[in-house]
Amino acid sequence: MSMRRFLLGVATALIAGPALAQQPAQAPVPGWAVGRPEGSTLAPHAPRLTVTPLSEVPVAAIRLPQGFQAEVFAHGIPGARTMAEGPNGTIFVGTRVIGRVYAVTRNPDGTTRVRTVAQGLTQPNGLVMIGNSLYVLAVNRVLRYDNIEANLDSVPAPVELTAAFGLPTEQEHGGNHHWKFATLGPDGRIYTNVGVKCNICEFDRDQFALLVSFNPDGSGRRIEARGVRNSVGMAHHPVTRELWATNHGRDWAGNDTPNDTLIRVRRSGEDHGFPFCVGDWRDPQYNAGRNCSEFAQPAALLGPHTAALGMRFYTGTMFPEQYRNQIFLARRGSWNRERLSGYDVLVAHLDAQGNVTRLEEFMTGLRDDANQKFLDRPVDVHVMRDGSLLVSGEQMGAIYRITYRR
Amino acid sequence: MRLRSLVAAAVLAAALPGTAMGGDPARGAALAAERCAACHGADGRSAMPDIPSLAGQQPGFTTLQMILMREGIRRVPAMQPFVEGMPDQDIEDLAAWFASLPPGPPQDRRPRDAALLAAGEALIGPRNCAVCHLPSLAGREQMPRIAGQREEFLARTMAEYRDGRRIGADPQMNGAVAGLSDAEIAALAHYLAQRD
Repeated sequence: MSMRRFLLGVATALIAGPALAQQPAQAPVPGWAVGRPEGSTLAPHAPRLTVTPLSEVPVAAIRLPQGFQAEVFAHGIPGARTMAEGPNGTIFVGTRVIGRVYAVTRNPDGTTRVRTVAQGLTQPNGLVMIGNSLYVLAVNRVLRYDNIEANLDSVPAPVELTAAFGLPTEQEHGGNHHWKFATLGPDGRIYTNVGVKCNICEFDRDQFALLVSFNPDGSGRRIEARGVRNSVGMAHHPVTRELWATNHGRDWAGNDTPNDTLIRVRRSGEDHGFPFCVGDWRDPQYNAGRNCSEFAQPAALLGPHTAALGMRFYTGTMFPEQYRNQIFLARRGSWNRERLSGYDVLVAHLDAQGNVTRLEEFMTGLRDDANQKFLDRPVDVHVMRDGSLLVSGEQMGAIYRITYRR
Repeated sequence: MRLRSLVAAAVLAAALPGTAMGGDPARGAALAAERCAACHGADGRSAMPDIPSLAGQQPGFTTLQMILMREGIRRVPAMQPFVEGMPDQDIEDLAAWFASLPPGPPQDRRPRDAALLAAGEALIGPRNCAVCHLPSLAGREQMPRIAGQREEFLARTMAEYRDGRRIGADPQMNGAVAGLSDAEIAALAHYLAQRD
């Protein structure tokens, strides 16, 4: 394994840096910094991987529309990101750097209990529940934990499906956009992202910057959408069954360009334009003379560098009728921008034809504009069976629960 | 000393957006005396070959690495007994303590070798070291201070990254040192060890 990683790493470096042949040898700039202007100190925010005491979880700062309340559903979950619910109500939580998958269960008194059910994985951010089996997508690894809810205290070894899925490795991604989001389609297939292997570059458009789907055994790979730079959130419309996804725009093309986007996949395989265009915005370096109107247009622009991530259609009944079948989406918040943007949850309101008519700032208060600080970073949303909405906060390792009372 | 440490920790906390650094350096000092000082040095400057100095290290880096070791993601056999099951609070307290100590070279740092120093310095730009570690090479947040570190430790670490025997939180360091010869690594290590 380590030899393979080494060789792949060397191969990646050689491809990335033809200047290696010269003296002195030139190393690739870290992926996130490619294109960073001279003198800029912008860099990704460091993660926090230790438990945040409940008293420091910033639930009191959260602002919601009239009638909604936020509470701490669970805490002490460092790196909490993606959420998937089991048939018995367990909330499984995926992470990136800390390499864990957590299980959050409710105690009889309404409090929650957090258990670590897998650890030592590489960025286990993709979670899908199919029947009693939890699928964990950790970069290219795909693991299936059967009957997991009955075995939360001693989780049996998973079934390894990595070879069947054949997803690109971290090295093949050049260390960029290799983590997965995954969701179960209404057709029983697993939908996931294959992000681009750079900030922006020329690449094989049948291999990277895709949404893809598979049969649960890893067979039958199908390209659902091309030219999607990196999606870390997707969901199917509960009525039309269309696939919708959030998508991240490139870095280092200005504070206000391009936008992150919400995309609607009307036809399997359609092209959403990366690296050439974002909507009608032509990439200043990689447009290659393409007319942006030849690509599928975004359903909504979600703001520059806001890091729009997890999204779900609201299918519960607790919230007012106007939220039924509307899209809740988390914006984790910017790093590639001089002033912070995002760090909130939006609602994309749709009309009967599925056009986005309005973006509503639903959950705010985690971005401190005056001091240019953030209090937490929302990553995913999940609709509970009682109609309440969970929002994961990665920086503080907490899950917030939003309820509505008339 | 205690007040100075607390002030240092407060300054560091203010620099981290949204990150509540909960470390208590005074408590960390007591833990370090018991568990860390034998190898990493009572003042955080290691006198032991191949063991890194931790004085002045970025607390975000120390915390992240101890968690990666505890979780079995970064494997360091010598550290395993110490990090096994270690509570988050202990890790944060230790990180705050080491961050509060003034950084500096080990007492047994060897004299400068002008040719090696120049060869190492010439690699800093092409290898993009300052992009993450900053021009001061003091690091920031989860990226470590590498200035003034023990030379043989730096050389071994870079060779491990190059040879795929060490992976960080991401593979950026593997790319940064890919293709370096042993001689180039020796030069870089010498230059970094001589930087204050």
